[in-house]
Amino acid sequence: MQVNLRHKGSITILDIEGRVIGADALALKDIIDQQIQVADSEREPREKLNIILNLERVQMMDSSGLGVLVAAHTAIRRNEGNIVLLNLGGNIRSLIVMAKLMTIFDCYDSEAEAIAGIIRT
Amino acid sequence: MGERTEQVITLSLPSSMQHVDLLKVIVTEILKETNFSEDIQEQVNLAVIEAGTNSTKHSNEEEPEKQRNFQLILAENKLTVVTEDEGEESTRIETETEQVIALSLPSSMQHVYLLDVVVTEILKETDFTEEIQEQINLAVIEAGTNAIKHGNKENPTKKATLKFTLAEDRLEIFIEDEGDGFTRREVADPLDPENLLKSSGRGLFLMEACMDSVTYENNGTIIKMVKYKGTPES
Repeated sequence: MQVNLRHKGSITILDIEGRVIGADALALKDIIDQQIQVADSEREPREKLNIILNLERVQMMDSSGLGVLVAAHTAIRRNEGNIVLLNLGGNIRSLIVMAKLMTIFDCYDSEAEAIAGIIRT
Repeated sequence: MGERTEQVITLSLPSSMQHVDLLKVIVTEILKETNFSEDIQEQVNLAVIEAGTNSTKHSNEEEPEKQRNFQLILAENKLTVVTEDEGEESTRIETETEQVIALSLPSSMQHVYLLDVVVTEILKETDFTEEIQEQINLAVIEAGTNAIKHGNKENPTKKATLKFTLAEDRLEIFIEDEGDGFTRREVADPLDPENLLKSSGRGLFLMEACMDSVTYENNGTIIKMVKYKGTPES
């Protein structure tokens, strides 16, 4: 798994690539937790954290990966931030539908829509 | 991961040349965990493939009913590979159309990758569609994670053992751990609205959703999963 981190204004975008399974799911959790910590401690006045997870190049995700998404959602919402999903491929979409997580995550098919959506909410 | 002990991975394969690829991907993956340089990794990989080919072609004469056994022992700065084949002394009584691949791993989350590559490689030889292959792969990763994390509590001295049986009409997978077991009906339903925001507890659900049949034996320390080619009853 590879994760590229970039910013568009105040929005953090993680481009994730590969297979989010096992130990890599935990590595993704560390990266997201770090962003939450930075938002919590360093910015004055505290800004809410808005994250877009671009899953376009994720071929597979297991229950550990889903758990990381859900935990990130809970932590970021607690701080009044937002996390949305971008470009779900067929495998990942059916996984998220199967686990009934479409009701929890806003999902978008283009980066522009995701940015507009994350600012609106 | 605490003190670094020796890690032993065992693999048992049918003696057909196509399985040399499986050996290769496993060794490649294990070597990534070592401190060997890339050059050395290539050399070790080549040596293992030669040993595997040797035991396949010469000792077992490409008789797929005979098994070849490999032990990969990973210590801090050393990888030892032991190959063993059945030669003349084959005692197997499996039917000819079944192929059995067995794999035993120390319980570390790092090895979930190894499962991923092994299953991907095994499934390449089947005629399951790509979509079904991904489902089986996910089920094995979930069952393996369950054995390593929840069964064996990531104790590297405890083994997770997997056995894949490729039959004409189905793929059967056994996963066994050395833990205390669990009762399936006591595991909460991850689709229950009150559990949707939990960060764990989806593994068994995904396994069951991906496979045609999942059964729990020996108090849950053995999980048996089946995927049929075509529909289950046909």
